Amino acid sequence: MWGLIKLVFLFLLATVCHWCLATVCSVWGLSVNVMLAFAVAFCTVLKPAFGYPAAFLCGLFLDFFGTKLFGNNAFTFTVAACIVYALAERFDFDGIFPQIFTVFGLTFVVGSLNSLLLVWFTSSSMWPGFWSLLGGSALGAVLAPAVFWTVRRVLGKGAVCRQA
Amino acid sequence: MLPNRTKQHKKHAPGAKRRFLLPAVFLLLSFLLMILPLEGFVSSVKAVLSYIFIPQVRLAHGTAKYAQNVHETVRELLDAHRENRELKQQIEMTKLLSSQAEAILDENGRLTEILRLNPARRWNGVWAKVAYREPSQWNAVTIDKGSADGVRERSAVLSLEDGQEGLAGVVTEVTENTSKVLLVRDEDFTAAVALERGREEGLLTGNGLRPVRLKYIPLLTDVRKGDKVYTSAVSGIFPAGILVGSVSGVRNDDSFQTALTVEVEPQVRSAAVKELFVITDGRKK
Repeated sequence: MWGLIKLVFLFLLATVCHWCLATVCSVWGLSVNVMLAFAVAFCTVLKPAFGYPAAFLCGLFLDFFGTKLFGNNAFTFTVAACIVYALAERFDFDGIFPQIFTVFGLTFVVGSLNSLLLVWFTSSSMWPGFWSLLGGSALGAVLAPAVFWTVRRVLGKGAVCRQA
Repeated sequence: MLPNRTKQHKKHAPGAKRRFLLPAVFLLLSFLLMILPLEGFVSSVKAVLSYIFIPQVRLAHGTAKYAQNVHETVRELLDAHRENRELKQQIEMTKLLSSQAEAILDENGRLTEILRLNPARRWNGVWAKVAYREPSQWNAVTIDKGSADGVRERSAVLSLEDGQEGLAGVVTEVTENTSKVLLVRDEDFTAAVALERGREEGLLTGNGLRPVRLKYIPLLTDVRKGDKVYTSAVSGIFPAGILVGSVSGVRNDDSFQTALTVEVEPQVRSAAVKELFVITDGRKK
């Protein structure tokens, strides 16, 4: 129960951080996705039974603000969660560089996939632009170690985590 | 080997199924949300989610706004700090200028007064400024004019106070560019003076901090408080008719005395002396 409360707290923190950074970075035309960094960090720490719903919910939060399509972010975040759980069997996410590269790559994948889904379902392009996506991915990657550290620090070990 | 492998496969199969089931459910759910029209079911889902997310959004928005405000507040604080420093410097400069202006105004007032009542109209001499004043000896000053300007030893020195000129002292030492003036209150100062009424003559001597004394005034002389005292024509140093001061008291309490002792308040106060007029030639113009 305590683990779930901590998870809810982290989710709140993620939404606040995402909102703040999106507001600030929009001034420079960057498409930063801190929510994804949190979702990835959740998946590296939590058991799949909690990691997938957490990632799905993070995506759903972003979908809540969409006007053309609903569920695309939830879909891409779930795909990202699948990739993270697959990678977790091969890589150790304790190091800073795996965290940075994973977040960087997934931000690019999620952004591209979102654009494809929008084109497919609504026939409208929402491509933020290559450099905007690259800049946002880079910024998300830079922030990734701090996000991972926070998530691990708050969640630690418990019933909801992989390490009991 | 083969049975073992089959056993292991059978053992892991339910776990593997569960591992794929969970993401599949969420992927399917999100796919369903995508294919459904935004009105109807999706709208209801959004409405339900709004109860969860809107407080979060408010919190996030408030935090973002606060963060922006913090940035602006910090910038404003830094600006205010810089402005404060500049203003403090300006205030210091203004204070300095104000004090300088006050001193200049004071000097201007005195000089205007000097011009109005310039003794130079009547006597030949030079104006001098007090250049130095010994802190322990207020009744002697050093002026910024010397022999090069025509100042000689025992030259009479005048000054202005309350719009009236009066005897300030006498030059005792002269160098090329400076001179030492002994003021009226000094104990070594003496001058032959005369009372305004009756023209009785006596010898004025300084008395330090106590009132200046006027000696050798005959006992029956009618001397009153406030009577003016002028330099006498018999004086070899001071030109006649210079105001020295006014009578502040008469002592006749000693039964054996042969003359009155008159106390005189000098016209020029030692502490107020700033500009002095040194008479270089005692003859009137």
